[in-house]
Amino acid sequence: MRIVATDCGSTTTKAILIEEKDGVFRQTFRGEAPTTVEEPFADVTLGVANSVTELQELSGYKLIADDGTIIRRKNASDPDGCDLYISTSSAGGGLQMMVAGVVREMTAESAKRAALGAGAIVMDTIASNDRRKPHEQIQRIRELRPDMVLVSGGTDGGDTKKVIEIAELIAPARPRPRFGGEYKLPLIFAGNKEARETIERVFSGEGFALSVVDNLRPTLERENLGPARERIHDVFLEHVMAHAPGYDKLMTWANAPIMPTPGAVGDILQTIAKGRGINVVGVDIGGATTDMFSVFGGVFNRTVSANLGMSYSISNVCAEAGMDSVLRWVHLDMDERELRNRVKNKMIRPTTIPQTLEALVFEQAVSREALRLAYIQHKSFATTLKGVQQQRTVGDAFSQKEAGGSLVDNMSLDLMVASGGVLSHAPRMEQTALMMIDAFEPEGFTEIAKDSIFMMPHLGVLASVNPRAAMEVFEKDCLVVLGWCVAPRGEVRAGRPAFDFTLRRANEVVAQGQLIGGEMRLVRFGHGEVGTLEVRPERGLDMGSGPGKPVTREVRGGAVGIVLDGRGRPLKLPTSAVERRACVEQWLKALEVYE
Amino acid sequence: MFARIVKWDYLALVARNANANRWQKISSALIFCVIALGSFGASGVESKVDSKVDSRGKIPLNELGQEVIAPPAATSITAEDVAWDAGGVIKISWQPAAGITSATKWIVERSEVLVDGQGSGQGSGQGPWTLVAEVPIEEKYAVASKLSPEASYFFRVTAVSPNGSSAVTTTKSAVTGHWNFFIGAKLPLFCAILLVSACVINFILAARRGRPMKVRRIAALEAIKDAVGRATEMGRSILFVPGIQDMDNIQTVAGLTVLGNVSRTAAEYDAAIEVPTSRSLVMEAAREAVQASYLAAGRADAYNADAIRYITDEQFGFVAYVSGRMVREKPAACFYMGCFFAESLILAETGNSIGAIQIAGTAESSQLPFFVAACDYTLIGEEFMAASAYLSGEPDQIGSLKGQDLAKAIAAIVIVIGVVLATMAVIAPSGPIPAALAWLKGVLGS
Amino acid sequence: MAKAYTPGLKVTARTTYRVRRLLPVPGDVRVKVGDSVSAETVVAETFLEGDVFPIKVAGMLSVNPAELMPLMLKRAGDTVQVGDALARSKGIFGMMKTEAKSTATGTLESVSESTGMVIIRGAKTPVQVRAYVAGKIIEVIANEGVVVETDALFVQGIFGVGGETWGPLMIAGKSHAEDLLEEHINASMKGAIVVGGARMTAGGIRRAREVGVAALICGGIDDADLRDVLGYDLGVAVTGSEKIGITLLVTEGFGDIAMAKRTFQLLLAHAGKMASVNGATQIRAGVMRPEIAVPLGQASSGEIFTGGATAGILNIGTPVRIIRDPHFGLLGSVSALPEQPAVLGSGSKARVLEVALESGQRVIVPRANVELVGD
Repeated sequence: MRIVATDCGSTTTKAILIEEKDGVFRQTFRGEAPTTVEEPFADVTLGVANSVTELQELSGYKLIADDGTIIRRKNASDPDGCDLYISTSSAGGGLQMMVAGVVREMTAESAKRAALGAGAIVMDTIASNDRRKPHEQIQRIRELRPDMVLVSGGTDGGDTKKVIEIAELIAPARPRPRFGGEYKLPLIFAGNKEARETIERVFSGEGFALSVVDNLRPTLERENLGPARERIHDVFLEHVMAHAPGYDKLMTWANAPIMPTPGAVGDILQTIAKGRGINVVGVDIGGATTDMFSVFGGVFNRTVSANLGMSYSISNVCAEAGMDSVLRWVHLDMDERELRNRVKNKMIRPTTIPQTLEALVFEQAVSREALRLAYIQHKSFATTLKGVQQQRTVGDAFSQKEAGGSLVDNMSLDLMVASGGVLSHAPRMEQTALMMIDAFEPEGFTEIAKDSIFMMPHLGVLASVNPRAAMEVFEKDCLVVLGWCVAPRGEVRAGRPAFDFTLRRANEVVAQGQLIGGEMRLVRFGHGEVGTLEVRPERGLDMGSGPGKPVTREVRGGAVGIVLDGRGRPLKLPTSAVERRACVEQWLKALEVYE
Repeated sequence: MFARIVKWDYLALVARNANANRWQKISSALIFCVIALGSFGASGVESKVDSKVDSRGKIPLNELGQEVIAPPAATSITAEDVAWDAGGVIKISWQPAAGITSATKWIVERSEVLVDGQGSGQGSGQGPWTLVAEVPIEEKYAVASKLSPEASYFFRVTAVSPNGSSAVTTTKSAVTGHWNFFIGAKLPLFCAILLVSACVINFILAARRGRPMKVRRIAALEAIKDAVGRATEMGRSILFVPGIQDMDNIQTVAGLTVLGNVSRTAAEYDAAIEVPTSRSLVMEAAREAVQASYLAAGRADAYNADAIRYITDEQFGFVAYVSGRMVREKPAACFYMGCFFAESLILAETGNSIGAIQIAGTAESSQLPFFVAACDYTLIGEEFMAASAYLSGEPDQIGSLKGQDLAKAIAAIVIVIGVVLATMAVIAPSGPIPAALAWLKGVLGS
Repeated sequence: MAKAYTPGLKVTARTTYRVRRLLPVPGDVRVKVGDSVSAETVVAETFLEGDVFPIKVAGMLSVNPAELMPLMLKRAGDTVQVGDALARSKGIFGMMKTEAKSTATGTLESVSESTGMVIIRGAKTPVQVRAYVAGKIIEVIANEGVVVETDALFVQGIFGVGGETWGPLMIAGKSHAEDLLEEHINASMKGAIVVGGARMTAGGIRRAREVGVAALICGGIDDADLRDVLGYDLGVAVTGSEKIGITLLVTEGFGDIAMAKRTFQLLLAHAGKMASVNGATQIRAGVMRPEIAVPLGQASSGEIFTGGATAGILNIGTPVRIIRDPHFGLLGSVSALPEQPAVLGSGSKARVLEVALESGQRVIVPRANVELVGD
């Protein structure tokens, strides 16, 4: 079995080769070429062919025919070609959508979830209670140039008036699609089934390609995103992709539907979380945006933080977080005016890379803030359903919990996956690990891994065709385990003990000691090593079994090892500049971050 | 006083909530200690007092069982007005003669100086002698209270033994209890009032200056949006019942404050709201509140006065209407905010059975269990009263809420001190502790 | 290994510059192929659909949406003014009738029987597209716009704010390395495209705005000064629609940095001619850089340029600019291109090159941190 997978990003097209050897799937080679969607090439398949040509040169198999297409094997003994070709795409700005619903926190939010889960960028959410006057909403709809619109609203048998009202705002506003001209704007209706007829009448005019799917909120107690997500994928292929240069050809090459890149990443993370029965958070920090994925208790959520990124949006990160917040992670002397100009220079020349250590330290400080802000956005979006009737007993009088709480719980988080330039190309693995820990503040025991060469999109599509291959490659080649972060929840007191730890490998004590409040320590525990770590937190500190209760868990080694974090949660840095710098220096030194 | 300041429902409120401020938690824990210790301490004190009374009741005799001669009279007697009071108290002190050991008690008596000069007593213009106090022979003073202010009295004292009484010693002149503007004994209470007011004013000023005031999240109030949103999505109405009492009931007023907020949210979401009332005045007030909310939300055109109507004053007639309406119309959100009695469970159960999100709020402690069991969220007692401050977010209201909370905390601390003193007084019956306890009791007016 | 393109900014003494001038929505083209146009000539115009104002008439009358139709006083297509009665309720026995009045002026577009909402469409707004550069119309795209061509001195900047403008080119200051100060600006520069040397100072910008300068072109700008001009901290480099009354364009970057000598001298040579400037910058997929075009007449140079990003391949001797600290802004030429990646001071491994600086010094920098300069 030989599989070729490509991901057409906005700047580069990445190809990987996956081969089955001795019954095990492994990723063997990778190739890269500039994406060729825009002028002067205007044909995405050229870039795909170039990247696969690189695979061909490296592997020695003939994969590209003389006419530039990908060769297929006729049988397993055929030396040339591949058995399966799949692709994802985020070229040309990805899939841009506008969503609408009746109540912002209910059907509109479900619509947003469906769109984000399918891999789209949500440009705006229109709802009857979004505090905008109808004419302001119309104005906004007219300004946007979406590829697709998703309209939801009303439970089945519920409200029809307001969902039709929303439709009646969208129809006369006639949002202009990005591709202009003859392109009919695809509009998906996933709302109250009783409103379908009227909706069909409202959008019967020219300019819309309406399709109707099952309500994504048939009752408020249940969310049914599947049909809407699938239809978004279909429409993406039929309408959006068909208008992008060269995609019609690419679609005929591929054995599985071409997916938007983030949608594919979401799929592989869901597969992993389900397969291993764990809670996962994944992040992909890019130049312009940061994608955040989470699976908690089997519920998948994705958010895109537009304008939180490391190059195009770096200036925005500094503006949103504030320069003080960025500089608190820096242990070197830096001139603020100089830095501000440097940030802007990076913004206007996004492809440059840090040459000096100082520049790297600063860029990694910015990334911590970008990740932190993106995670805050993600937490407030990844919630349980709102508007749900609660069942209570008299005993609940003292513990009435609100509906719509965040699903994200750092204590129950098992695995964090880092990807994206600043995280995966950091010169030292320790830097990636510390950036993740500082930004996400994991609690209890959390495994940290990074996506070695951003292979998750390819594997996401592969999972839909051959889940076993996807899982095997994910575990063996895609993920680079960095190690574990062990940190107690609760406030520590500086200079006082935080927790004791004992690391054993087959009953032999490898390391033990005591962490002082505010201290960090690294225990090297190499790749492939397995041991048990016992921690005994001080009173008031929680490692997962309750305050002050000891916890013992199996840990696997990684490229970094086990990071013991005695800084407490929520993470607080000293307010005085001198103390803060001393602390940061201690942490960087303990973790051998910039050695 | 304790019972007034620290309401039971407040105790329940702070104790039940894990999110309560730290000091709230501490104070609630202390209050429970107080109650436990208080009952224990009180029973201890009583038993001791009983035994004392018993021993005092016995009359000593000499070895032969014969009576001894009558005791000598007191050598001198003075009476003086007690300062800083309402004029009703005069302190009488005397000097016992030597060898008074055989006497058992003093009898203190008074006689009012009558203006018309009539009287049967021994002094000129004196009224009949009435008993002021009987005190043990060791005492050298007594306090006459409940006298008429600005009236003059003569006092006399007699030592009594089993053999008979001594001669009387009478004050030389009449003493008048003067009325004072300020009652000294209430000074600590005055200070306490000043302190409480200072707390409230200070917090209000701080809030006005923009200092952030953290008020614990009240799930039931946060859930208003959820409930209204549900009604909007399901295309159903919102039912709001402001209790069955009239506007003179504070709970009805609190309920209407919440109604203002609910209807504002409903106006924003463009959902229909229905308010059946059982008092005509409440209907008028509710209409005002709802209309103001629709105006504030900029949707004056959507306000429908007919949806807020008077049903009947009859408790069960009203309930029959509301529950019937609920079964037929199936509102998606029901609010019960006000004073409820037997109808609480009928309404809440009907609402539950039609699958509505229900939010209740009442200070009727007997109805709370029903609401808690049948509703999604319940505002309990003080929470309900604090709702207007919470919802409005106005600095004056929030500041006042915080100030009152601090005052309650101070009251709780005083309770703890009292209980500790009372307990220690049982262990060490003499010394400064019982005195301090007595002072505290005096201050608090018990 | 696929060819790696290195980005560059185009600075060329003479090129055939073509610009597409398109309407946002279809309309009328006012010129024909072969016409000579000046920057101000209107080449196409149209009307944008008016704004939409929804009015909930059923709610205002407290009637069921389905019963609204018979109560309407205005029909679809009617013109309405603010205050006109749109519908009137029946009232009780002909009394107490309520009227729903229009809150917008325009044409009644539709009445919904399911929601009781009436849509009023406001008046159309005219949109005009001007030629932007003086030149010749070489193509008319029916109902959409035209293509204007001219031979021009063409300079791409790195970053700009403010939109399209044009005016005579004037030089302030004497050298490419001199900061643009307040005293460099005088009243005669009203409506002109003013070229400074190195950094545009806060005082210089303020004076230029007072005088009414059309555009300022300098080597650099300080982040803090840009923030003052815009009134906010720019987060993402997508600009062009700012309403600040002036177009600012920097050719090199942020901070104290001199304009490339060649750029300055090219502009100096054409002082007094009419120039067109667009500050719009978009640093995203489909990158757009700000530009200065000085039309030079119609003689064709052969090379055709239509804007957009440029890129080239690095060779020994290629002139480059270093675009990242520690050597930010320095110019030089490629002196060596090692094949193997090298370890940088930051600890990362990257492909590098050696640059011989104008000062004679040789430095090693990552390939990602240079851009091409020149044609």
